[in-house]
Amino acid sequence: MIRIAWRSLTAHKLRTFLTTLAILLGVAMICGTYVLSDQIDRGFKNIFTDAYKGIDVSVTRKAKFTGEMTGATAGLPESMVSQVKGVNGVAGAYGYVTGAGAVAVNGKVVETGGSPTLFFSYAPGDISNTTYAQGGPPKAPGEVSIVQKLAKDHNLHVGSVIDVITPGGSDKARVSGVFTFGAESSLGGSLLIDTTLADAQRWFDMPGSVSAIDAKAVAGVSSDTLAQRVKAALPAYADVKTGAQAATDQTKQISDAIGGFLRPVLLSFGGIAVLVGAFIIFNAFSMTVAQRRREFAMLRALGASRRQVLVTITGEALAMGILASVLGIFVGLAIAAGILRLFAAANIDIPHSGLVLAPRTVVVALAVGIVVTLLSAVIPATRATRVPPMAALQEGAVLPPSRFARFAPYFAGAVAVLGALGIIAGMYGPGNTTSRLGTIALGAVLVFVAIAMVSKYLIRPLAGLLGWPLQKVAPVSGRLARDNSVRNPGRTAATASALMIGLGVVVFVAVFAQGLKSSFIDSFDKVVRADFIVQGKNFIALPSDTANLVQGVTGVQTAAGVDAQQAQIAKKTTAVYGVDPVLFRNVWKFDWLKGGSDALLGQLGTGNAIMEQQTASSLHTGVGKTVDLVTVDGKQAKLKVIGLYRDPIMLNGVILDNTGYTSVFGKPQLFMVFVKGDLGTGAAQNETALKAALASVPTADVQTAQQYKDSIVKQVNQLLNLLYGLLAMSVIISLFGIVNTLVLSVFERTREIGLTRAIGMSRRQVRATVRFESVITSIIGAIMGIIVGVVFAWVVTTKFAGQGITFSIPGGQLIAFLIVGVIVGVIAAILPARRAARIDILEAIHYE
Amino acid sequence: MSDMTETTLQPGSTAAPTTCETGTTIGMDDAVVQARRVTKLYGQGDACVHALAGVDIDLQRGAYTAIMGPSGSGKSTLMHILAGLDRPSAGNVWVDGVEITGLKERALTQLRRDKIGFIFQTFNLLPTLTAGENIVLPLTIAGRKGDEAWVDELVATVRLGDRLKHKPAELSGGQQQRVAVARSLASRPAVLFADEPTGNLDSHTGEEVLQLLRHSADKLGQTIVMVTHDAHAATYADRIVFLRDGVIAHDCGRLGRDQIYDVIKSLEDVG
Repeated sequence: MIRIAWRSLTAHKLRTFLTTLAILLGVAMICGTYVLSDQIDRGFKNIFTDAYKGIDVSVTRKAKFTGEMTGATAGLPESMVSQVKGVNGVAGAYGYVTGAGAVAVNGKVVETGGSPTLFFSYAPGDISNTTYAQGGPPKAPGEVSIVQKLAKDHNLHVGSVIDVITPGGSDKARVSGVFTFGAESSLGGSLLIDTTLADAQRWFDMPGSVSAIDAKAVAGVSSDTLAQRVKAALPAYADVKTGAQAATDQTKQISDAIGGFLRPVLLSFGGIAVLVGAFIIFNAFSMTVAQRRREFAMLRALGASRRQVLVTITGEALAMGILASVLGIFVGLAIAAGILRLFAAANIDIPHSGLVLAPRTVVVALAVGIVVTLLSAVIPATRATRVPPMAALQEGAVLPPSRFARFAPYFAGAVAVLGALGIIAGMYGPGNTTSRLGTIALGAVLVFVAIAMVSKYLIRPLAGLLGWPLQKVAPVSGRLARDNSVRNPGRTAATASALMIGLGVVVFVAVFAQGLKSSFIDSFDKVVRADFIVQGKNFIALPSDTANLVQGVTGVQTAAGVDAQQAQIAKKTTAVYGVDPVLFRNVWKFDWLKGGSDALLGQLGTGNAIMEQQTASSLHTGVGKTVDLVTVDGKQAKLKVIGLYRDPIMLNGVILDNTGYTSVFGKPQLFMVFVKGDLGTGAAQNETALKAALASVPTADVQTAQQYKDSIVKQVNQLLNLLYGLLAMSVIISLFGIVNTLVLSVFERTREIGLTRAIGMSRRQVRATVRFESVITSIIGAIMGIIVGVVFAWVVTTKFAGQGITFSIPGGQLIAFLIVGVIVGVIAAILPARRAARIDILEAIHYE
Repeated sequence: MSDMTETTLQPGSTAAPTTCETGTTIGMDDAVVQARRVTKLYGQGDACVHALAGVDIDLQRGAYTAIMGPSGSGKSTLMHILAGLDRPSAGNVWVDGVEITGLKERALTQLRRDKIGFIFQTFNLLPTLTAGENIVLPLTIAGRKGDEAWVDELVATVRLGDRLKHKPAELSGGQQQRVAVARSLASRPAVLFADEPTGNLDSHTGEEVLQLLRHSADKLGQTIVMVTHDAHAATYADRIVFLRDGVIAHDCGRLGRDQIYDVIKSLEDVG
């Protein structure tokens, strides 16, 4: 029986290839995701292991929480270094300062594509894992040594002068040496700058402090023992770890940051591809079972049991699943390598190790590929066992319908309801984000399956509608195509459904993104009254006097800065902004809740705050109540909420007076400057004047309000294009599905096509018939996908209405997706149409 | 065996063959297949059609029987029911001592596997298997290794020794049907059913297949039931059963071609 299955696979190579491909691509995406993220993980692990090589104990200040905008912590007192040195068993200890900044070469800031530029005060070679390729470490004030990548990219040598830009301002520095870090010429795209301790303390405003202390043990004392001794000797705020532990923790932190986004996103797109593949396998097996019913009947007549027939077909599915999964693993390795090359080409230097094929990757890929293939083949296989042996003796015997067939619509309804419940439960139910997203995804899959099940009832009217214009254009081909597509509505429905899923998700993403964009623009237009916006490049805070520099420019009416930091209130990480109570109201139109007015800004002082209403309700607080705020350094403050405003997009969090902000956080951290200028004198001159005034701040990025809006929209669009790229895979898989269906239908209709040719149909007409049928199928898929995507997006948008995201339909894009559907149909028809046109008339009419 | 069913009719006689009995022939010894009052109805109420209206028949071990009759006479339905492919509306059928009417699906499968062989009009070979693999397919299905000497003998009998490695598509129609004959004999079935075995063959290759069946009956003692409308094919049979309107109209011994035509003509005249 297994041999029969195997022979059948090898005998129908095209069919096997197309069906296998459907599942292969999904498996490859899943495998590629794991391989890629493992490679990145291991890359970072190697770096941090290198970085902490030779370090037995590392001491830092305990952070209260970790966030994205937390900035540098207050650090440890420099005196602690000698405290550590005094611990029994310490061979040596060095304190150093580290922080993020930027460098400029010839007055131009070096762009790092989002990665930070990190400054370290120099530590001796036996502790720091740097190797000098040129020159040596910085010794005198104003000297820095730089990582090799920076030297290479900007043609810098020992003696070159660069600008270093830090929260302390901009300074000139002379290059004293060029080094590599571990084996890397750069650390994950970020730039490394070594400085003297005194310079670093000045630049990062940490006089008398160090960021961390690294220590080495004398021979015979283990890292663990030393860590315990150091811990005992230091105050509680010191976080003491062994070097190995620190490397693991830092790796985990970065892996979580990257993996926490990249892995689930890529995996979910892989999952969509697998789902599409499942539909195609189901369809392919359904069709081949229908075609081979005589073969199964003959086997049954020869005494094969139902189980043996089932085993034959599931055996085929098993072989296909194994083949697809194994090939998928290899293709996945290629995908991972390709993405890394793509990153490299885009100058995004993500550290990665060589290929990592973890056992987990192989197991997941095999399991997904095989299980999905088997599950998809189960229903067609069961149907095959119902072929009566009598069918071997009869022409055109049809399969008896299942006992459950008449319950199918009810079953589909139940699945749809279950799916809808899943989506609702995921959106509004309890549980953490991951499990809720999982529930939503499961619900969405069920809804897709239910739609696929009921869509066969839609095929007839839709095909009639779409066939009508075709019939006007080409009376014969159009008519035949229309008839053919409704001949087996279930098959057309399943084929179209595969496309529906891919396009449905595309449309969902498009509509949701459109909502994001339009709500951002609406919100910006509503609240921002500034004409220009100044931001720091590379997420570096602006020097605190930037607003003053801008204020001096002629034509500028108001320049108001906004400080920003993250802090925790009631264990929730919240954005905290500091604004000038007098100036800010000139550039900002608050949407106050009842009782609020701009006068509240003047009452902020050092102990009061105003809060965005969403933030307030999630913190269960309100006007008149007091909240406890904790900074990342562990500083605490009590704030009284004196007013609420509505602004879910721009300043969603807590707003303080800038003096209040400084007293809470210890120092300002200027995030943006909003500038209202006199546009009457000409915006272009204003812009030039602003840029001239900010010449001393190379990290300042001056944009008009319109440019700022465009740049945000552009960012959303970039993300959107990335998602489209990933979803294209699903659409391509569904294209193979259409090819597969058409090839099999053409094969089934060999005789019929021969007959039409015999009575005078031209090859061109035959090709057109197949093409039209393909287009009818793909447009049905596209229409269903667009409807489903729009409805999904609408449902999800209602959930985010509180966050200011509105529902907005990108009409032009939807039309584009419909055209994509037509193109998919035309491309899918090429091969099957050619096959149909090549059919030999004489052979065909003798064919049975 | 042949003397038992020898016809007393003279060649060239225009009269209806007198040795043919009308109605039923039952009660013979050593019957492999027995049917009693088998009826088959299609449809319900007024639209009800009797495909078989009470057929009694015994098929003797080793006999080569042809079933003939005009279209709609019920000859195919009779064969389907005797072979356990279809269930009668009423009546009983025994195959090799087992009553098959009322058998469950699983037992019927077992019966087909062990006791029954089939030859189809359209050969029905698995296109993906070689000729040799097709021949032993019933043994493969049953999970038996089979008697190699027997298979070799069959291969020699059907003269396909040099064609065993070929796929069906590479064989002529006659060769394919010879493979099908060998396949049907591979499991040494108690009875072999052939449904228009020459229907898709030209006269020359058809002849080969008919000789092969005759040979199986003579040399291997194979019980054969053949449904055919080809008078020439029927001349190879030891016994010819004519059906009309769902009942056995004539049950004859060996007949010549002309005599068969006469019977057919007489059936049509009555109709």
